[in-house]
Amino acid sequence: MYQYKTLKVKRDGNVVTAFLDRPDGRNAINMQMVRDLSDLIDKVEDASDVAVLVLRGNADVFTCGIDLRDFPVEKPRDIYGLQKWERMCRDLERMNKFTVAAVQGECTGGGLQLALLCDARIAESHAVFRLDEVEKGFLPGMATFRLAKYIGLGRAKNLILTGRSIRAAEARDWGILDQVCDQAEFEDLLTRTIESLLPFHPVALEMARRLLMESFSASYDDFLGHYLAAQHRCIHSEAFRRLVEEAGGKQGG
Amino acid sequence: MYKPISSLNHDWRQKAGFTVPEVAPRILSVGTATPPCKYTQEEVLELFQESSPKIRSVFLGGHIQSRYLYLPEPVDGALPQESNQQLLDKHLNGALEIGGQAIEECLRPLGLEPYDVDFFCALSTTGFLCPGITAHLIKKMGFRESVRRVDILGMGCNAGVNGLQTVTSYAAANPGKLGLLLCVEICSAAYVDNRSLSTAVVNSLFGDGAAAVLVRQDPADTWQQGPRVIDFESHIIPEALRAMRYDLDNTKLSFFLERDIPYVIGANVEKPVGRLLGRHGLKGKYVDHWIVHSGGKKVIDAIEYNIGLTNYDMRHTLGILRNYGNLSSGSILFSYKELTREGLIRSGDVGVVIAMGPGTSIETALVAW
Repeated sequence: MYQYKTLKVKRDGNVVTAFLDRPDGRNAINMQMVRDLSDLIDKVEDASDVAVLVLRGNADVFTCGIDLRDFPVEKPRDIYGLQKWERMCRDLERMNKFTVAAVQGECTGGGLQLALLCDARIAESHAVFRLDEVEKGFLPGMATFRLAKYIGLGRAKNLILTGRSIRAAEARDWGILDQVCDQAEFEDLLTRTIESLLPFHPVALEMARRLLMESFSASYDDFLGHYLAAQHRCIHSEAFRRLVEEAGGKQGG
Repeated sequence: MYKPISSLNHDWRQKAGFTVPEVAPRILSVGTATPPCKYTQEEVLELFQESSPKIRSVFLGGHIQSRYLYLPEPVDGALPQESNQQLLDKHLNGALEIGGQAIEECLRPLGLEPYDVDFFCALSTTGFLCPGITAHLIKKMGFRESVRRVDILGMGCNAGVNGLQTVTSYAAANPGKLGLLLCVEICSAAYVDNRSLSTAVVNSLFGDGAAAVLVRQDPADTWQQGPRVIDFESHIIPEALRAMRYDLDNTKLSFFLERDIPYVIGANVEKPVGRLLGRHGLKGKYVDHWIVHSGGKKVIDAIEYNIGLTNYDMRHTLGILRNYGNLSSGSILFSYKELTREGLIRSGDVGVVIAMGPGTSIETALVAW
């Protein structure tokens, strides 16, 4: 079901783990990987028995960022490949499953953006994060849109404009990561992180995440309308019906 | 503003095996018209001489800025009460004026005249009359005496899609013939001013407008001329039969909207949309264009949150609500016109139409360029 050129995908119960897998290029993100991720997101969205999608690399590198070899030197360059990448990012960000970024080693450019898209973000303590695009003369994608919401404008400027590296501990203190641990404990931390997200109520997840993403941009009145529509959906879900039944049982009906 | 990339949608649909029938009726043209006078919400409140803070907040909080309305000449700054006869006359006269303009605007770009139309379907919910609107417009505009016609009355805001079903069926059964659909709603002819909150909700929401589309099945027509109408899916919620309805207020029809109905529609909208997309192997996120009835802010929010649409997907729905109010059956055609004017449509794009109204009913259509 999950065969890709640039990803190794493992299924364990209701958890699907995608390992970015381009060993010859430090897991650089090329168009094939964008297409593979798009397709994987699509399939996992449709799999009603999956609750969590985990993104990770290997023990040394999550990804070194965009693969510049994808740009032909001679041909005119267009923006559409980058637009496809952003579309995939948006689909991942709005997915109907929990998403986890589990980072080891180098996490540069698009790798950090992938992490920002996920619901939970953890790393092992040797992980290093970096947005080096501006330093090289281009832009770190829509990380320019998302990063400041995690860490504030000042820190986002510092990270994006200097291109400097930050260690996992600093990324955690700034709010990019939820938790950091030593290499030996990494698999345990990942398991605990997944467990902490469950149980999986797809409606509540989608509604809560969407509202949170809107919280920086919508006016109070618009947001209130959205919240009421979302909450109406939640209180009519199967999960809420069971909750009410249980509560009614305790009060003796 | 962000323009969605549709080529990824095209790739995906190709992979999913989605195919559009080579030959299907196409919407060739759209025309719209409104009454000459436009009113801001503040101006309408002033004319109603409304001081109740609750009612004022209903008018000012509905995400509507202005509407086109046939309001009577104020007497001492206030609107005079209109008799039932006056309201019926207003409906007919208004329907003839803006209905005729919408038809002209629809036919003119193709160099056609009413005389060329083979089938004429008119629908309205805001006034009862016999003979129907088609008969009046045939006399006024010079349609052929042999034109086939249908008048649909009283189906409400969803009727635009029901009318499109009728005209599309005609066009598919009679290749090469021209089917014309007119949605004309003089909502101000269904206003009752009795100072209650429930009539205030109606009076703050609905606007007057007419829209017409021309449909033909001809293999020579291309995507630049308009989208193929591929399929329809209906959904009715019988438990909510009385949620939107006309009541009789003395001699006048007074429209009633139940408070919870926007959310009930939201909770059900996934059903017809899911069935419509599902049987064509499609998914919501791979639909390029959404043409959704501007029912009101609450129902727009509820639809967004139930099928995962964004304010961008709803930009025309929200824009029409802001500038025209709820135009009832014609509103999807106003949104459709905005979409065609925007210049973002590409060959092979797919669109979904959603209109909801009394019944309680949700009507959907699938179109492809």
